Amino acid sequence: MSEFVVVDPSDELSVDVLGEALAARVESRGSERRSWFDTFDWRLYRAGLVLEHRASPSGRSGFVLTDLEGRRLGQLPAPAGGTPGVDELPAGPLKEQVVGLAGLRTAFVRASAEGRVGVLAVLDADEKTVARVAVDGPLVVDGAEPLPVRVRVEALRGYEKDARGVAKRVGAWPLVRPAEETLFEAICAATGLRPGVYRSKPQVQLDPAMPASRAFAVLLDELLDIARVNVDGTLRQIDTEFLHDLRIAVRSSRSILKVAKGVFDERPRSLYAAELRWIGDVTTPSRDFDVYLLEFDDLVEHAMDPEAMRPFRTLLTRQCRKTHTELNRALRSKRFVRILDGWPDELVASEEPGPDADVPIVRVGGDRLRSAWRQVRRRGNAVTDASPPDALHDLRKRCKELRYLLEHLASLYEKGPHKEIVDELRQLQNNLGQYQDADNQRQLILQYAEELISQNAPAKTLVGMGRLDHYFEHRQAAVRAQFADHWARFDRKHNRRVFATMLESR
Amino acid sequence: MKVLATYSIKGGVGKTTAAVNLAALAAKEGRRVLLWDLDPQGGATYLLRVRAKVKGGGRGLVRQRLRLADAVKASDFDNLDLLPSDFSYRHLDLVLDGQKKPTRTIGHLLATLSADYDVVILDCPPSVSLVTENVVRAADLLLVPLLPAPLSVRTMDQLDSFIATTKGKSPAVLAFLSMADRRRSLHRRLVEELPRERPDLVDVVIPVASAVEQMGVRRAPLVTWSPANPASQAFARLWQEVIRHW
Repeated sequence: MSEFVVVDPSDELSVDVLGEALAARVESRGSERRSWFDTFDWRLYRAGLVLEHRASPSGRSGFVLTDLEGRRLGQLPAPAGGTPGVDELPAGPLKEQVVGLAGLRTAFVRASAEGRVGVLAVLDADEKTVARVAVDGPLVVDGAEPLPVRVRVEALRGYEKDARGVAKRVGAWPLVRPAEETLFEAICAATGLRPGVYRSKPQVQLDPAMPASRAFAVLLDELLDIARVNVDGTLRQIDTEFLHDLRIAVRSSRSILKVAKGVFDERPRSLYAAELRWIGDVTTPSRDFDVYLLEFDDLVEHAMDPEAMRPFRTLLTRQCRKTHTELNRALRSKRFVRILDGWPDELVASEEPGPDADVPIVRVGGDRLRSAWRQVRRRGNAVTDASPPDALHDLRKRCKELRYLLEHLASLYEKGPHKEIVDELRQLQNNLGQYQDADNQRQLILQYAEELISQNAPAKTLVGMGRLDHYFEHRQAAVRAQFADHWARFDRKHNRRVFATMLESR
Repeated sequence: MKVLATYSIKGGVGKTTAAVNLAALAAKEGRRVLLWDLDPQGGATYLLRVRAKVKGGGRGLVRQRLRLADAVKASDFDNLDLLPSDFSYRHLDLVLDGQKKPTRTIGHLLATLSADYDVVILDCPPSVSLVTENVVRAADLLLVPLLPAPLSVRTMDQLDSFIATTKGKSPAVLAFLSMADRRRSLHRRLVEELPRERPDLVDVVIPVASAVEQMGVRRAPLVTWSPANPASQAFARLWQEVIRHW
């Protein structure tokens, strides 16, 4: 595919003029509202796909899937009236592909534009279309400057040579120059979007000699940025991953603030630690319900009659909606806005920094990692077969803190031993996570069984919940029985040696 | 990837018309469709305005001197590609006979396209031959147009025996009445009677229509330029039956 831009934006290249010059037939023309869909983390774009919806004032509406070069891979009709969501794609392979790639995420409108579109068909002697020429624009981009007219030559499979000939003729026109990017990329650039670029974790290269206060502030800045970009999607409930990423950014920030004791001024440090804890608390109920609903179908497979569990799902959905309303209220509050208002700056700007503020991060980081490692070992070794669930829950939290610290300080250490330790820790965390999940599920089942009884739910629903509880009880016991082996593996001498090697690798 | 084949031992029964229109309907739904015109007469190729020529001919394809994917031509319709006919296909039986597994060659060739297409429709030549044996082995569903004629039941019986003698997994068979002329009393009567004799005949009748003949002039599937035509509507119903049966 070849794409060109009209050199002088004031020149409006007409479809008729181009059609006459290329001896091509006008296949369609008119104005269109165009919207480009992708997930927040660009899963379609990263898979080499661009999904566009086009709607004309006459009511014609459809989705077009292309590759990154603009080659058409599929086209589907869409319901007329406004811009539909991808859930309105007609069932079929295209929808399966889009939904499959999106996974837990939802493809939503990332950019929109409106303007004239004309399509020319270049025909051979049999009047067979051998190439298409699309004349787009000028396009008025939502929230940005208009884009000049663009000419795109689309090759058809088996007729690539013809398309090259047409592109050569179009390119010879003094009115146009080759486009440096595709229309989609130009639209994204105009609206400040960078397709394919997404991060859910800080990507910072730390200098080992950097003062600890500065290094932690850089990390907190990145995390704050990640938290900020996920607020809108959380409020709009586009998908559950916005809240998930927001919470991880907040939790990571909390773990940094915890280890930054002695680095930052104690007053703002403890103040913000408490404020971030508040964000954690107000987001937890919504996240819990999101997870229950995401896992619901797998969950009810363990009940004898999944259909009987419908009242349970209805109740969870209602509760989920309620908690999200409360969450949105908190996210719109002055308190939340103030926390997100650049608080890492306040930590650094303080006139009374902690005693470790100027100590190189490699030293402070090493100390904190050793301490976090010791905490995990102390708690892990204290767990016995008789320990209550809280002991494992507490160990899990310490493991998380160690994991965040390892991830944030990764750039200070050699990749090999660092990766080995993270992998070992991950295995232990999986065991603890499964135990915790089963425990949570059981508590949820008990809590909602009582509520369903008060709502006169059918007996078969309650029997199903009993079965579920039984299933999770077994699962929890099985995971608990495996803990000792997981712990022994994590706490073996080899891992302690690798951890020490990692710390010395700088 | 689902493989359908329009097949009839007899010629001129509406096989190509069905193949082209069903391919267009599948493509319109967003399925990626390949129509392979295996008939050396090249009716489907002509209707889609593509030149009936494959580099290296049938021999080149079968012996994989040319990749099947490289012989594909886009039609004028989104999601619908064509593997054109070539006059050399008249010798395809001989070429296939020289292969190691002569009855499985077409199936093996199609497997190379499984990532590119959701539906492949094979438009077969009217005969009983090694080509059709290949088609029967490669297809998930055989679509059999039948004229409302007394001999049609016999044609179906012959087809059943042919499938029974073919090795491997048998495809499902979906027979439908084609080119039915409501003005003729014999047709009207047989449209009533034949389904009683052959319960495997689907309840879709493709009517004879001048618009179907016009396809040869317009060189485009009827369903794309006259979707409200009764024949188009019948093809749409037939497509729904296809989806139900595969």
